[in-house]
Amino acid sequence: MGKKICLVLLTMLIGISCPVVLIPASSHSAEPVIIGVPTSVYTPFGRDGLKAVNMAVEEINAKGGVLVGKEKRPFKVVVTDTRDGEPTTPVHDALMAYEKLILEQKPHATLIAPFRSETIIASMDLVAKYKVPQLQTIAQTPQFQVKFRTDPEKYKYLFRVTTDAAIDAGYISGALDALKADFGLNQVYFIPQDTLWALGFIGVLRKYCEKTGWQEVGYEPYAAGATDFSPGLTKAKEGKAQVIAMVWDVPLGAGIFSKQWAAMKVPALVVGFVPPMAAPDAWKNIGKDVEYSIHVEFPVGASVPLKKLPKTVEFLDKFQKKYGKAPEAAAVNSSAYDSVYILAAAIERAGSLDPDKLVTALEQTDYRGVSGRLRFNKDHIVVFGSNPEETGVCVVFQWQKGKRVPIYPAFLAEGKVALPPWMKK
Amino acid sequence: MAEVEARYRKKRLDRGIKARADTIFAIASYREILYLLLPRALPVILLLVLPLLFKGYWNKVIIYSCMIGLLALSWDFLASCGLFSLGQSLFFGLGAYVAGTLSYYFHWSPIFTIPIAVLGGGLLSAGLLSPVLRLRGVYFAMVTLMMPLLFMKMIETTGLVGGSHGLSSLAPFPNEWVAIYLAVGAFLVCLFVFRRAINEDYGLVLKAIRDDDRAVMSAAINIYWRKTQALFVAGAVGAFAGAFMTHHYQFVGMSVFALDYSILPLAASALGGPGTFAGPALGSMILVPLSEALRALGGLRIALYCFILILSVIALPEGIFHYIERKYHQFERLVRVG
Amino acid sequence: MSLLIYGTISSIVLALYAAGFSLTYGISGLANFAHGALYILSGFIAWSFLNQVELPYFLSALLSIIISGLIGFGIYWGLLLRVRGIPLAELVVTFAAGVAILELLMWKGFYGIQYSLPLFLEGGVEIKGVAVDYQRLFVIGTGVVLVGLLWLFVHHTKIGLAFRGMAQNERTALSVGIESDWIGSLSLAFGSALAGVAAIVILPMGLMESAIGYEVLIYALAVAIVGGLESTSGVIVASFILGFGQVATAKFLSAKWMIIVPLVAIIFVLVIRPSGLFGKFKELEERI
Repeated sequence: MGKKICLVLLTMLIGISCPVVLIPASSHSAEPVIIGVPTSVYTPFGRDGLKAVNMAVEEINAKGGVLVGKEKRPFKVVVTDTRDGEPTTPVHDALMAYEKLILEQKPHATLIAPFRSETIIASMDLVAKYKVPQLQTIAQTPQFQVKFRTDPEKYKYLFRVTTDAAIDAGYISGALDALKADFGLNQVYFIPQDTLWALGFIGVLRKYCEKTGWQEVGYEPYAAGATDFSPGLTKAKEGKAQVIAMVWDVPLGAGIFSKQWAAMKVPALVVGFVPPMAAPDAWKNIGKDVEYSIHVEFPVGASVPLKKLPKTVEFLDKFQKKYGKAPEAAAVNSSAYDSVYILAAAIERAGSLDPDKLVTALEQTDYRGVSGRLRFNKDHIVVFGSNPEETGVCVVFQWQKGKRVPIYPAFLAEGKVALPPWMKK
Repeated sequence: MAEVEARYRKKRLDRGIKARADTIFAIASYREILYLLLPRALPVILLLVLPLLFKGYWNKVIIYSCMIGLLALSWDFLASCGLFSLGQSLFFGLGAYVAGTLSYYFHWSPIFTIPIAVLGGGLLSAGLLSPVLRLRGVYFAMVTLMMPLLFMKMIETTGLVGGSHGLSSLAPFPNEWVAIYLAVGAFLVCLFVFRRAINEDYGLVLKAIRDDDRAVMSAAINIYWRKTQALFVAGAVGAFAGAFMTHHYQFVGMSVFALDYSILPLAASALGGPGTFAGPALGSMILVPLSEALRALGGLRIALYCFILILSVIALPEGIFHYIERKYHQFERLVRVG
Repeated sequence: MSLLIYGTISSIVLALYAAGFSLTYGISGLANFAHGALYILSGFIAWSFLNQVELPYFLSALLSIIISGLIGFGIYWGLLLRVRGIPLAELVVTFAAGVAILELLMWKGFYGIQYSLPLFLEGGVEIKGVAVDYQRLFVIGTGVVLVGLLWLFVHHTKIGLAFRGMAQNERTALSVGIESDWIGSLSLAFGSALAGVAAIVILPMGLMESAIGYEVLIYALAVAIVGGLESTSGVIVASFILGFGQVATAKFLSAKWMIIVPLVAIIFVLVIRPSGLFGKFKELEERI
């Protein structure tokens, strides 16, 4: 009896899935300009990035769409979940999803792009093969430029509209300077995630610290799947580290680290990029212990509204109004928003959707967006610096009294870096 | 469980045509020949013709199904020998990395890297697993489960052979058609060779080892050597799948040791019916396209896929192939008892 | 000193992961590869009760443990019963159920930093210069009590002995009146409830995410195999070996290698002593 029920249920399930398969992908209508979003939707970065893209697309469509040659055409977003944010997904699987998107939905360009550095690098060949311009807004790996330079002509369809590890590290270096100058701190312990982008980040920081006279108490990379940081935190405590420089993007480890650091009462400031401690809800979820931790937000507008940059306030207000809550991660969401406008501007400049013309138009991008003034350099990455009128910018903020206060660079700062009372000698 | 009184029973009789086709009368008429030939010729014809009809994405799906099919066949080969493997991704990954490193560091073309990967992968897997050949059942399965995870973490930690970023921009196949027909060809050849071999003397010894190894030992046959050979063959087949996928996607990374590549062949075999190589092959031909078709559903895809898998295994625990085979050869009638 | 304390905490965490799994797989012979999924599911259930229905923490925790037990019971009746005896099918079905649960959780939006259980008690103590928070002390306490109770249960109560009987020889068990279906479902229910208990005490130490499900399953499997499938003392010893091994590797070598320890340990044990450190050394059954 049980078996018969199972057979019936089975046929029903297969029956339900079949019509879904047979519904043709509506890629043959010539009207909308199709934007593909192949990314890991079940991560905060992917989910909020997608929301930002949808918001931008809605705004553009409300004005009639994007001008392609002589006619205005609306944008249409098609999403595929590459699931590469999940540790068990093989890269081949993510690439299959990406390829299916390209072959069936025929997007004219793709945004956001896969989450994991491995997948992004692998997808570069895929994009080069199908010649679909890709504007990536999540992956921070410096390996992108390295690979790009090996064959710029082949990889010309790839662009990065966000920062990379070296840029992020540069901003944190500025914060470390302030800590040294104002409070005389000079002992640092490094905990990077053992992935290339985080190692690159901490690598740049290490060199800087060596140059500016910081004493390195320890350097301990942890594997991306780590769930216990007590050995490192203990070493930091025993070595009397005053600053723990930490870079982590996998939510699992970052969450555990945040809580462990609070629980172990290590008398050191956390500086770097730990998403759960930098999110708007961190006060509620991790607790008051996040107070005084210092984080870099790359680029501006991702999660913290800055009074000195009204565009960030505007973007975050719109986001909050539309979706009910602010973006979670203090990273890359504004890049996703800007990338839609960059694409629209390039399409209008090129006057057509032909990939090669679009690439040339993209290279000429000069757009003032939420993250600053965005222009590509010859490696197809956006230039970041310290002047929002000239380049894109990031900001470093510190939790003070339950609020995220920007402290560096100086022209964006709304407060000074503060030392926790338990660190005053 | 409630007590049920049996009032009816299923009476199964061989079909007439089966009875005739079982003997020399198989060549008596075209009907009998067709009866015997059709189930064997049909998949071959389908697999050879479909790539010409499909284009683009679904051809990739066929390739992926063939690769998982190869892994499932290799799993079944080991199972026929009594070695229950939960780590097909070990073979897959070893082959992928051998081909990948040769292609990346020495720039050899697929023509050289794939055969070397097949042999190398086979030797490596046999070498790695032969110390644990004496273990039975669940213990051997556990080692095979842990090995690929260990490799994955080792590569991540040591950063060798590309580390967590992997090796990319490897040499592709010269032609889409070469790729797909190589995949289909390898799959079909493997299927038919295994099916044939298992019924020859060699295969009979392997099956005997599964059934009762002490009896085989007492027949003065060295079962460890035979098992090692079985490991080599299975490893080589898995390595081919890995090497092929490496060149097809022009990329190899530590995720080639992912759990996915161990579980999918297992599920394909459970679905199709373990023991007969056609079962795992059929299972993979169903599961992989199903998984791809379900992509249209977005978020619920994997959950629905698991549901379908669970229902299939519960409804047909013997496997689809056994069920089809039975229906093909026999007909059933409900007959009153007593 | 910190090595000792954090090693102990690590080990007890592993023991908690493995307790429920060992009860079903090791002691009753039923594979429940949905263990990791049930672990994280009870965490999310507790979170939902706490944040969406606004029940007090203690009640949410209790309810989630009971619900996991019921789900475990359901898994036996719905899934395992139909495929009992076919080892491959059991494994595939429970693993697929586990993956389905994890996927449904993600589909429903259960990911992000707001999914975190609050600590039982804020603050901590200092033991010889090492700060230990109350939550971790609670974990140690719960772990010790749980494993102790488990040992007593399995060795001295009728039901516990029935579990073991079922694993050893089902036919004989049937002939002395142990109804295998009922006992099997009880075993699975208890195992899942144990997973729930482990989740409630451990999850407040970090964030909740579906990926934890896979981790927990691998660790539970590792501990069960290294310790020996039918032995509770094996679970304790194995978790201590793996836990201290990890922490010591991180301290003396480098944290990078922490992940490798459990995997190497398993392979090592399996090659040298397959039935695990404390398993009954069944020479005939494990080797050829």
